[in-house]
Amino acid sequence: MSLAFTMVRHRFAAFAGTFVAIALGVALVAGACTLWASSRPQVPERYNSAPVLVHSPTIGKGTDGYPDYRSWTPAEARDKADQLSTVPGVTAAIPDPTFYVQELIKNKATGDPEASRTAGHAYSSAELGGYHLTAGTPPSKPGEVVLRGSTPGGTIDVLTAAGPEHWTVTGTVDGPGFYLSDAAAMEQAGGVRVIGLTGDPQTSAITGLFFTGGDRDKLEDESVTRIRWLGAQLIIAMVTLGVFVAVFVVASTCALSAAQRRREIGLLRAVGATPGQVVRLMYAETLVVAVLGGAVGVPVGALAAPLLASPLVNAGLEPAGFAVTLQPAVLAGAFLLGVVVALAGVWSSARRSSRVPALDALRDAAVERRAMTVPRWIFGLLTAAGGAALTVALPSLPPTTQTTAALFAAMLLLVAAALLAPVVIVPLVRLVTWPWRGGATGMLVREGTLTGVRRVASTAAPVLLTVGFATLLTGTIATIEQATRIDETAKLPAIEVAAPDNTPGLSEAAVAGQPGDAPLRSEMLMTIGGTTSAYQVTGKGDAKGVILSRDLTDRPKRVDVVFRDGTTATLPVTGTHDGPAELADVPRTLLREHDPQALADAVMLNGPAHVEPGMKVLTARQYVTGLVDEEGQIIDLFLLVLISLTVGYTGLAVANTLLMATAGRRTEFRALRLAGGGTGHVLRVTTGEALLAVAAGTLLGGGVAAAALLGMRRATQEELRQSVDLVIPWGQAVPVVLICALVAVVAAGAPVFTRKQSRNGGF
Amino acid sequence: MTITTLKAAVELRKVSRQYGAVTALDAVDLTIAPAAFTAIMGPSGSGKSTLLHCAAGLDRATGGDVIIDGVPLGGLSERDLTKLRRERVGFVFQSFNLIPALSAEQNVALPMRLAGRRPDPGQVKAMLAEVGLADRAKHRPSELSGGQQQRVAIARALVSRPAVLFADEPTGALDTKASRDVLRLLRLAVDRHVQTVVMVTHDPYAAAHADRVVFLADGRIADQTEGSVDAAEIAVRMTRLEQR
Repeated sequence: MSLAFTMVRHRFAAFAGTFVAIALGVALVAGACTLWASSRPQVPERYNSAPVLVHSPTIGKGTDGYPDYRSWTPAEARDKADQLSTVPGVTAAIPDPTFYVQELIKNKATGDPEASRTAGHAYSSAELGGYHLTAGTPPSKPGEVVLRGSTPGGTIDVLTAAGPEHWTVTGTVDGPGFYLSDAAAMEQAGGVRVIGLTGDPQTSAITGLFFTGGDRDKLEDESVTRIRWLGAQLIIAMVTLGVFVAVFVVASTCALSAAQRRREIGLLRAVGATPGQVVRLMYAETLVVAVLGGAVGVPVGALAAPLLASPLVNAGLEPAGFAVTLQPAVLAGAFLLGVVVALAGVWSSARRSSRVPALDALRDAAVERRAMTVPRWIFGLLTAAGGAALTVALPSLPPTTQTTAALFAAMLLLVAAALLAPVVIVPLVRLVTWPWRGGATGMLVREGTLTGVRRVASTAAPVLLTVGFATLLTGTIATIEQATRIDETAKLPAIEVAAPDNTPGLSEAAVAGQPGDAPLRSEMLMTIGGTTSAYQVTGKGDAKGVILSRDLTDRPKRVDVVFRDGTTATLPVTGTHDGPAELADVPRTLLREHDPQALADAVMLNGPAHVEPGMKVLTARQYVTGLVDEEGQIIDLFLLVLISLTVGYTGLAVANTLLMATAGRRTEFRALRLAGGGTGHVLRVTTGEALLAVAAGTLLGGGVAAAALLGMRRATQEELRQSVDLVIPWGQAVPVVLICALVAVVAAGAPVFTRKQSRNGGF
Repeated sequence: MTITTLKAAVELRKVSRQYGAVTALDAVDLTIAPAAFTAIMGPSGSGKSTLLHCAAGLDRATGGDVIIDGVPLGGLSERDLTKLRRERVGFVFQSFNLIPALSAEQNVALPMRLAGRRPDPGQVKAMLAEVGLADRAKHRPSELSGGQQQRVAIARALVSRPAVLFADEPTGALDTKASRDVLRLLRLAVDRHVQTVVMVTHDPYAAAHADRVVFLADGRIADQTEGSVDAAEIAVRMTRLEQR
């Protein structure tokens, strides 16, 4: 261990790449995971004063693995509340119906559409949040409301699921939300799923499902959960990419440094180091570097995370009020991960080094042995096959996992290209340098590259990674995006659509006057084949009974259902549809009756529309592209973050490998100087070789990306049965290549100018 | 002492080494006597370096047996061979003998540390003093001259009291003065510490320090001298071999 420490201290330059890669990787993982861990579900603020929340019962599990709940009907809820109020320690048992309310200002809906779905409450439930009436009187009849920041006696225009309403403000509370009288709120909500208990309830006396303490976070609003989920997606992608690139950089740095240390390792073997001791020495050295890298990375990550909180909230990737907290376990995990990543990165070169024969200490030149080894071939071909398969499968995957899958496919293909690079580099170099074979510089570059295939492969690898990643990732997403846009608009007739305008959906009043069908969206529990689970249901005007998917194998004649309001019914099955199994259609009027909260997505207009609050008229194309663009903006943000991350990281790797490569060739360049070459000459050689490495990396990375994109286009075309345009992201690829070239030339030339003789020179 | 003198330090029995179609060593029989200084000479490509590598267990013979200090190398695993080298063999190469990261005394102590023994500081100091570098113990190789580095290498090779010390052109990269120091140290190791030394060289002056000179040509032993022979005589024999 002390030997390893001495080694690291002496040749820190050689370990600098590993150090920086680990420090950055650990900082990234520590920071991103601190954000993720800070973003745990929170107990909703409006339950702050309710130590116990009793929930309506679960019925089975949905296809997504989460439990499905049935609601209590208003009557059931009142009975349950009466029963709960007898539990020892309970001060009050308060049903908590929620419903959709948005304030209308100049006939425009205001506030966050998704959050507004649960903005309406019953007045008595204000107590669950510890909110109090600060002025006026409680609401006593329909059309009366209390809320924050409004003076009693005034009026307010709102939009509910039924349509625009004009309410009288009777009082002011000190909490967010719209509070109606209990009866009016129950009327709006339809069913109830939560009864809050205040006081100090004796939980052993409560029957059924209930949550206490931190567990109450399970009742977080869905809109908040979705924002968190989006943020988590970005964090997962960042961490995956960060770890991958860190392993890649560490592995290529270690491989290069091991190749440069061949004689030293041979000497160690000659004076009695066993292969096992060589492996342990290399692991120990890396461990020292990883611990140092982690020691720098952890504080950097921990300090950077709080700075990212407000940009993430602004980008809609974390809910408002998101605050970063110190996560010691996460920081320890990131540190440990850095160590594991470093050891994984050095694994292959340690194994290679242990097989260096002692005789290599006696060989003067570090003559490269075969550039391609059998494991390299095997791993290269395996990863290539895996990446290709995943790329071909890409269009058939659900859209939500496409980005992640594209990322994995890109990783596999690029690792394959890096592993198989030496095979391609020789012919590539011959081809590219052909015009300059006559001049001295041309000859030196050509021969230097051809004899140092592995070295060139090491320097080309990060370029390959960067160019490949940028091109493949943006190209894949852009092509799929364009293809799906064409696909979705192709299905649409040339009509106009009444669409929500800053609302979560269209109210009953907004659709009532429109010429055209306005399907309602809701959820319903159905018992089919003995199992009960939730189905996405659409209320359609022309449905006579329940219409189930053709994919359901044992469709019953009649089906037991539980509506959103908690009522049960047995309905006839009257037909089938071609959609997925979790969708069903029911008569629109029936659904409306049992879910007063249901909203319509849009109305396909077959005549002139009446403009209503919370609604706008769009062409079908505008409507669909609007939906796609909303997704597109988030994806673009993801891409920007991921590509910047990759370019930053690999730019570092390019600089590092070239610095090491040039530094390792000092003696060679000294010989060139002695033979009459000036500094300019040496610089021309280093620049030529650096550019050659960048060219090789660009061609390989670009080639991989092009091949993968073509494969993906072919698969998309088969899937959609129409021709798809390949989108090649020149705008991203060209700047990335230029940055790589600039970094490479500077890094390769820099050691030439350092006049200081290398400390281990003279050998 | 009498017991060890009876046993050969290194014994080669019909040792061959082939590189593809090229025969570098052709069934060489050679017995290296203990406590003696043996020089191996020969023209370029005569197989003298291959002989040294095979005799030292750095390279494996393709035919025949190599026996170091009574242990046949044939059946040893890479790990056991490494241990044998660590315990019974010392090396001095033409160049790149020292680990650049380690100081002179750390380099000398390296074989002991690799063997898992705590180096005895007194022993290391004494060894460095013996090669005249007591005041350079803390210096790194880059702060030492070529001759000094070679002397550190000799100290490292001798510190574990190996059965035999192999030197491959130890003076090849040195000037006359430094060469003389190195050869004097090797001679001293034999005379004072009863060390066995085998040295490959192409320099008749260096070979003249040996007790016995073995001449190699085309992978076979072509000639040898016993006892003290002067450089001129060795040069004459070399020239004769080269002209054959």
